[in-house]
Amino acid sequence: MLKQILCIDDDPITLMLSKKVIAKAGFSELIITAQNGEEALSYFNTLKYSKDQSVEKPQLIFLDLNMPVMGGWEFLDHFITPDYDEFNTINVVVLSSTINPEDLAKAKKYSIIIDFLSKPITLQMLEYLKNKIEL
Amino acid sequence: MQLTNQEIKESNEKYDIVAKATSDTIWDWRIQEDYITWNKGIENVFGYKQGDVGATSKWWFDKIHPEDSIKMSVKLYSFIEQKTEKWQDQYRFRCADGTYKYVLDRGFLLKDENGKAVRMIGAIQDITKQKEEEQRLKLLETVITQSKDSILITEANSTDGKIPRIVYVNPAFTKMSGYESDEILGQSPNLFKGPNSDSEALKKVLKAIKDEKECLIETVSYSKSKTEYWVRFSMIPIFTAEGVLSHWISIQQDITEERKLETEKEHLIRELTQNNKDLKQFSYITSHNLRAPLSNLMGLLNLIEDIPVENTEMEEILSGFYKSTHLLNETINDLVKVIIIKDNPSMQKEMVSLAEVFENVFGQLSFQIEAHKPIIKLKLDKVPLLNTNKAYIESILLNLLTNSIKYKSENRKLKISITAEQIDRSVFLTFTDNGIGIDLERNGDKVFGLYQRFHNYPDSKGLGLYLVKSQVETMGGTISVESEVNKGTSFMITFKN
Repeated sequence: MLKQILCIDDDPITLMLSKKVIAKAGFSELIITAQNGEEALSYFNTLKYSKDQSVEKPQLIFLDLNMPVMGGWEFLDHFITPDYDEFNTINVVVLSSTINPEDLAKAKKYSIIIDFLSKPITLQMLEYLKNKIEL
Repeated sequence: MQLTNQEIKESNEKYDIVAKATSDTIWDWRIQEDYITWNKGIENVFGYKQGDVGATSKWWFDKIHPEDSIKMSVKLYSFIEQKTEKWQDQYRFRCADGTYKYVLDRGFLLKDENGKAVRMIGAIQDITKQKEEEQRLKLLETVITQSKDSILITEANSTDGKIPRIVYVNPAFTKMSGYESDEILGQSPNLFKGPNSDSEALKKVLKAIKDEKECLIETVSYSKSKTEYWVRFSMIPIFTAEGVLSHWISIQQDITEERKLETEKEHLIRELTQNNKDLKQFSYITSHNLRAPLSNLMGLLNLIEDIPVENTEMEEILSGFYKSTHLLNETINDLVKVIIIKDNPSMQKEMVSLAEVFENVFGQLSFQIEAHKPIIKLKLDKVPLLNTNKAYIESILLNLLTNSIKYKSENRKLKISITAEQIDRSVFLTFTDNGIGIDLERNGDKVFGLYQRFHNYPDSKGLGLYLVKSQVETMGGTISVESEVNKGTSFMITFKN
């Protein structure tokens, strides 16, 4: 079981669903949520400048693409800069409803993205990811 | 008289000698007696044997082409009556074989002491070759004078860094540019340049002139009244036999209309491309926005499955909710497939084992196959490998097989036969069942249409065959159907292998 994961999605129902399915699968102890890329970045900033050395950081990010304020791609472009280099070993899973082939092609250009999955999040999906991360 | 005949004979001999040297045909006509003698030329040039030649002027006039004879005799008699100083004429003279030769006939008069014309002696020169050449040149000239394209001829060299000066323009040029021939001769074609002319193109022309090489440009040109028109403008150097540049020929075509159409076409294509792109984006966004809440519904239903429901009415409602959501999900997934196929005209192909493809497809349909136990005959050994897109060929066969099972006849056991054959580089896949069939007379043109359904089945969406056709065509193949109601349906798919 992972210690902490971050779900970035603007849809509260998707977040609620993610929380329930992740809890049910016993996938992670702690689930942090952010409603868009900007909120997620400010969460990482809090972690970065925290005085507490023992602070835990997420081990996996579920990232939606289409979000207001700051979408998934813009988030990634900030996240892979040196500003966040202490977090850039975190695996990112894109979780989206997109069918645009351009999104799929784009995802291949980010080495940080380990998978591109179609909503909804399911128990089988988490099982698959568990195996993938442990490998 | 005796003497005269002797004289004539002698002089005839002289004529013959002269005529041999000039190849002319000489005639001698005693006018009052109307008696003509001809030298050897009449045989050598025109083919008349000595015995065929008549002794009167009538014989001569009869040989003249009817279109020329009146004009000729008017001129001739006005000369004999001494109304004119000199006589020479061109006319067509009929040969012994019936063909005509163009001749130039020149003669002089011998007069008696009273000044009356008594004798006329003439020399006929065969000018057929020159005439024909003249006519050929005239015909060639019409190419220039009748052409719809402007033709200009300029001098070889320019002294002032401009295009060399014009020495000839044809009528089409006057029509195109508004300049009359006499106002433009001696000018440089630089005159047609204006603010919107392509100065790069003009530089190209000047460079070609310097290099004595031909060139072709398109530019805006200006007429005398300063109206703009587009020309396709060529400059071709003309060299003498010694290889010295003598002139330039320039051909100019008015392509204003062509340009206008081209611009319109480009504009239209740009607009269409943009519209297409916008529509594609719209379809992506729409399907994303439909899929997002739907995936939530699917996820939530997955969670409900694990929660026991006590109330039977609630259970019934949830079951309906579940079915409808899944049907909506399937429909949207099918639509997404359509959008993706239409967006992806070039897909990856690989060598695929047909047997393996069928194994996969049967695996995915194992439940239906187990339930209905159709007799399936596969003859794929002729085409073990097919160069195709694996996902598409699986989807195509899955759709056809699902249809066969779905629309099987209730009265007989379902039989499906699938054969693959290769002729040259074409692969033919035939897929035949003995199901309920489709009424092609009524629905022939709609079989592969979007949202076309031919049987009132609850889970029929009218999408399967549309997808099949799209996928076959995306891979460069074709599909056709034969069907008879209550007998069965047969699909023929052709691919290039």
